[in-house]
Amino acid sequence: MTQKKPLIVLFQCQYCLASSLDQYWVEQELPENVKRVKVPCSGRIDPLYILNAIQGGADGIMVCGCMPEKCHYKEGNLHARRTLNEFRNFLNTLGYPQERFVFHWMNIDERGVIQPLLASFEERLKRSKDRPRLANRMLNQENG
Amino acid sequence: MPNTRDQKIQAEAKRLLQDGVVDVVIGFQKGTLPYKMQPCFISRADEVAKLTLNGLCSNNLAVYLNHWPKGEKTAIIVRGCESRAIQTLVLENRHARENLYLIGVPCIGILDLQKIGQQELQPVLAVQEEGDQVRVTFGNGEKLFKRNEALHDACLHCNHPQPLNADVVIDEAGLFEDGSFDKSYLHAFRNLSAKKRNEVFRAEAERCIRCYACREACPMCYCEECFVNHSRPQWIDSTIAPSGQQGWHIIRAFHQTGRCVSCGACERACPMNIKMTYLTDLLNQDMAAEYGFEAGLDAAAAPPFLTLGEDKGKFTGEQEEDHAN
Amino acid sequence: MPTKWISRKDLKKLPDQWLKQYDVYAPIQNGHELAFQLVKESAQIVWDVPSNPRYPAKSLFLPQSEVLMSYDGILHSVEKVERPKVLFGLHPCDARAIRLLDHALVDEQNPDEYWKSKRQSTIIVSTACISPDESCFCTAVGGSPFNTADSDALIVEVEDEFCVYVLTEKGGVLFSKLPDAEDAQREKVEKLTKKVEAGMPKAFPKKKLHDNLLASFETDFWKEVSQSCLGCGVCTFLCPSCFCFDIADETVRKERVRNWDSCMFRTYSLEASGHNPRPTKMERTRQRVMHKFVYWVDLVGEIGCTGCGRCVKYCPVNIDIRAIAQDALHREFEGMKK
Repeated sequence: MTQKKPLIVLFQCQYCLASSLDQYWVEQELPENVKRVKVPCSGRIDPLYILNAIQGGADGIMVCGCMPEKCHYKEGNLHARRTLNEFRNFLNTLGYPQERFVFHWMNIDERGVIQPLLASFEERLKRSKDRPRLANRMLNQENG
Repeated sequence: MPNTRDQKIQAEAKRLLQDGVVDVVIGFQKGTLPYKMQPCFISRADEVAKLTLNGLCSNNLAVYLNHWPKGEKTAIIVRGCESRAIQTLVLENRHARENLYLIGVPCIGILDLQKIGQQELQPVLAVQEEGDQVRVTFGNGEKLFKRNEALHDACLHCNHPQPLNADVVIDEAGLFEDGSFDKSYLHAFRNLSAKKRNEVFRAEAERCIRCYACREACPMCYCEECFVNHSRPQWIDSTIAPSGQQGWHIIRAFHQTGRCVSCGACERACPMNIKMTYLTDLLNQDMAAEYGFEAGLDAAAAPPFLTLGEDKGKFTGEQEEDHAN
Repeated sequence: MPTKWISRKDLKKLPDQWLKQYDVYAPIQNGHELAFQLVKESAQIVWDVPSNPRYPAKSLFLPQSEVLMSYDGILHSVEKVERPKVLFGLHPCDARAIRLLDHALVDEQNPDEYWKSKRQSTIIVSTACISPDESCFCTAVGGSPFNTADSDALIVEVEDEFCVYVLTEKGGVLFSKLPDAEDAQREKVEKLTKKVEAGMPKAFPKKKLHDNLLASFETDFWKEVSQSCLGCGVCTFLCPSCFCFDIADETVRKERVRNWDSCMFRTYSLEASGHNPRPTKMERTRQRVMHKFVYWVDLVGEIGCTGCGRCVKYCPVNIDIRAIAQDALHREFEGMKK
């Protein structure tokens, strides 16, 4: 039996992946184990989104945003970087593995990077040791 | 001449109310149980004799400013943490500083009821503070505690017990000097293995009964609608399943990043004795390390998550992945 | 119903015998706190509980979060056969609260099956409160630390021995083998009852309290009372006779659950339109007190508070329902009948 592929949630800022080929790939040919959440700007990604994805069963989280000074909204990516980095740190401090949560800040003219990035992330997730997971939204225990 | 701490506070409150400087004074009065004090709102000069301040005043009074009519001239009795909370609230435009009159009191620390044995097994009949000792009368006898051992953890780790930016400071020695304690207890937590840290967090969070006393006791939690009350989309599991409890504690703490003044009011309000100031302290420590920011100290500096622009130089793309390993 | 007598040593062995047939729930040490939890052996049980375990026993019948059904394309109802249970070691105030909740949840035409099934399968053995906590006031609201009205059996400790009042047939099953108590022993219990009750607060005049509170409805009294309220759910969640719940769909795991809710929360009465009939803490505090002392009296004829003292003891700002009631009794409100 083949190993189950890790479930990845990709948060994608709508302004990165500008090339039509990349955009076509993420929209049409994304592998089944990758779920894409398109956001207007990486600054829109609230830690709650990440928490929800993890608790909903995601094995890995990838956040794609624009390079500094390339943000369509001037400072959205700076905000994202500050808060999400700290959030990742915080989860790590509480014992949840931070390697399950990666960022990629890409340049607007980058081409064809998203495919290999996702592939290598998937590889790393497969290899990563089993460390504590955030509690899934699982069946309720009565009288908790 | 007024001589005790309470009398000095009362005299100041009386002066403010008589001269019409303020409409109301927020402070503490004696509660109905021997180990509880109740926040009170004094608006008449002949009522000031109620005012008191001791180690059993466990709330952060700044919390009341969030639902306070903004125009009302208000005096409020502040210790170190309360003054820092007010400073942060003023910075976040929750209240106008000119409508507030801060009566500063050098902090004498807040007793931890759990440490002095208030629990189901023995009723507490009286608590008396005698200098650096605390005498507690239980149903089956008396017990003496050293004050330093009976203080709440948040007070033991407090770096700024002196009221900041107060309009008047009551001339009475506090128990601590500024900076006399530190947050080194966090290193012990950080040095645990990931598994161990996780166990600690889980064990604490999973006693949560979702009563949100921590949220309501916190001066910084003033959102009109809390994320846990959203039903569309529903951000957090509504039940007391571990996912809901952990989610609540993680996000509650995270929303306090760089804003929490480490007063520990959340912990003292918790009916289940859940430890949670370590969460916000960890985040605050990160903020101090990364951005040199400490909440409530500077009347003009906004919390790191509200200031963005100056990151530009530091932000270098891909290698971010390895950040803070 | 018979009154039995048992030594301390024998009583401590009894739960072990019950364990063969029943799930036994009793106060056990859980970290720093006491909690009503499933007992594995009787050595775990904390016998002398001066105050009430903070998390109320209602959670065994109305769990804080309970799955009502699950859906997966089609609906699945949650059907569970309840194992017979013994709930042991709760005080008469908690037992009374459970009976009060029967009024609320077991309507004859339309009973709450989830509650009913758990309730029917449980034998309630309460222990009398020998040394009530300073926050206790059951005598003020029509109860007693020795109240025999609401349990299946009541155990009273007298001079290191125990008197067992068997109150229903259900309760008799557990104690059938014990010898009957002698008259001298019964007298001892009666003496003790009088002694403990004498130290407790006097009963509130129910009718006067009811009328005064009704008259106070539109007054500033409530503003004063609620001023220091934070608006958390401690009082209602720990209250043994509060039963409000909220039904939510947990879409991720495809379940419909019911969670405790609290009238002290802002969102409790918030309507979909955005209108909130209880917009401030004043209305919400008023609702909590009025429900206990007025609405329960109107509907059932009894005060809905059982005087367990949890809300008094654990309120972060020391809002004391006893003091509110006393205050209301001694004030004159406009429109009050003389």
